[in-house]
Amino acid sequence: MQIAELEYDLVSRAAGAGHGVAVSARGLEKAYGAQQVLRALDLDIAPGEFVAIVGRSGCGKSTLLRHVAGLERADAGTIRVDDAERRGLGADTRVMFQEARLLPWKTVLENVGLGLPGDWRPLARAALADVGLAERADDWPAVLSGGQKQRVALARALVHSPRLLLLDEPLGALDALTRIEMQGLIERLWRQQGFTALLVTHDVAEAVTLADRVILIENGAIALDLRIPLPRPRERGDGAFAELEGEVLHRVLAREARES
Amino acid sequence: MKTVTPAFLHRLVPWLLPVGLLLGWQAGTSFGWIASRVLPAPLDIGRALIQLSASGELWAHLKVSCARAFGGFAVGAFAGLLLGFWTGTSRLTERLLDTSVQMVRNVPHLALTPLVIVWFGIGEEAKLFLIALGVMFPVYLNTFHGIRSVDRQLIEMGRAYGLSRWGLFREVILPGALPSILVGVRFALGVMWLTLIVAETIAASSGIGYMAMNAREFFQTDVVVLAILLYALLGKLADVAAKGLERHWLGWNPNFQRAGA
Ligand SMILES: Nc1ncnc2c1ncn2[C@@H]1O[C@H](COP(=O)(O)OP(=O)(O)OP(=O)(O)O)[C@@H](O)[C@H]1O
Ligand SMILES: [Mg+2]
Repeated sequence: MQIAELEYDLVSRAAGAGHGVAVSARGLEKAYGAQQVLRALDLDIAPGEFVAIVGRSGCGKSTLLRHVAGLERADAGTIRVDDAERRGLGADTRVMFQEARLLPWKTVLENVGLGLPGDWRPLARAALADVGLAERADDWPAVLSGGQKQRVALARALVHSPRLLLLDEPLGALDALTRIEMQGLIERLWRQQGFTALLVTHDVAEAVTLADRVILIENGAIALDLRIPLPRPRERGDGAFAELEGEVLHRVLAREARES
Repeated sequence: MKTVTPAFLHRLVPWLLPVGLLLGWQAGTSFGWIASRVLPAPLDIGRALIQLSASGELWAHLKVSCARAFGGFAVGAFAGLLLGFWTGTSRLTERLLDTSVQMVRNVPHLALTPLVIVWFGIGEEAKLFLIALGVMFPVYLNTFHGIRSVDRQLIEMGRAYGLSRWGLFREVILPGALPSILVGVRFALGVMWLTLIVAETIAASSGIGYMAMNAREFFQTDVVVLAILLYALLGKLADVAAKGLERHWLGWNPNFQRAGA
């Protein structure tokens, strides 16, 4: 057990640098029926970068994420992951959804080990320990709290050492304190493992806390692409932080004001 | 309060009413309020039980009946499961088969009895066929429904985590449909006993139903009631077994965890 954990740690740390993939989307189009959701959307993400997507409800954030995940096909345009065109699901990509989506009939440990080949138990245990839930390995998901479920989901995503992690409002349903804790956890694991991260969130403060770049989607295209040059870990009360948060919020709200 | 109640007392509660009825019944017959031609005394039934089991007759009939019941059940449940998996996992087979199955389902299978006797005679095949037919539909319906109501989000998650088609079926779809499938199985067990009773009463030369019909001709009401009780007991045993399966397989589901366990 101990040795396996150590090995896992070494593996993930060794993989840390240069582990993430580059993502680039060109001219992405998607319509559901008559409703055009994505319009000629271009997006570039550098290897290991943390990008947050914000935007109003229904603007197509989840749709974009599902396309990058390969869960859905675009009407036009391409998505390239490390120069290979994405067709279907990528083995190097993992998704964390707004709901934890744990299988209720599997224990916490078995959930984390889902889809892992071979001797998966030591890996799964190490990943659970990473999110601080080692002692809940044999519980049913039904008895966990919402935040614990999301931590298990995070462990399940990270046990595959993904090179691209897609997060669709994974903390949306959590209370404010748990949310801040989880943000710290995600940031720590991202820095350790060096994957590329794409986070959809409706919480601008969360976006500014975690991301290297905050992207605003409007009308199915990118309306704002703001670099967040603050040092990590970031302080919410900070002046520069508040300024950047204000800038994004202002931009989101300005449009709402224009529309109404 | 609950914690101080001994476990065996807790288990006893469901049996209070039946035992009370039994005592009342015995009293009714011993004091002559009920004629023994109408309803034999429980003690007479007990005597019949001892006699018939000592002669070995009872066991022979019991074995035949159980073999019929479970043989027919196995065939019908297997067919229902397979059909349910098939239509549940493929839109094409659903379109092809489901409407037809739903139509056939509306025919009470026992109404087919005369036709089945014409096809198979009054041999074992007729009984097996009727039981299998009766069992198949509840199992099919609940399997199909169970698979269709598996959480779409879990299926998408399974796909996103690289599960193969078979992996998805084994890890996500089947366990997700299992509660519903087991409901179908329990219902089917009821249908199984019912069909067995009808089939054995109408045409048989062995089995518990035959034993009862035979006794009727000689006005041995104690044997007739014994047969009825045996059917009830078998039904109860099958239900207990099905509940055990539920507890075993659905331990993850808070709805199926026994209180206090
Ligand atoms: N499978 C689908 N079929 C039809 N319409 C869809 C489908 N998926 C998304 N849409 C529509 O596309 C639009 C964008 O949806 P999407 O889920 O991407 O929004 P979102 O930005 O993630 O919103 P939220 O912040 O509320 O999650 C919505 O208007 C939605 O109704
Ligand atoms: Mg969304």
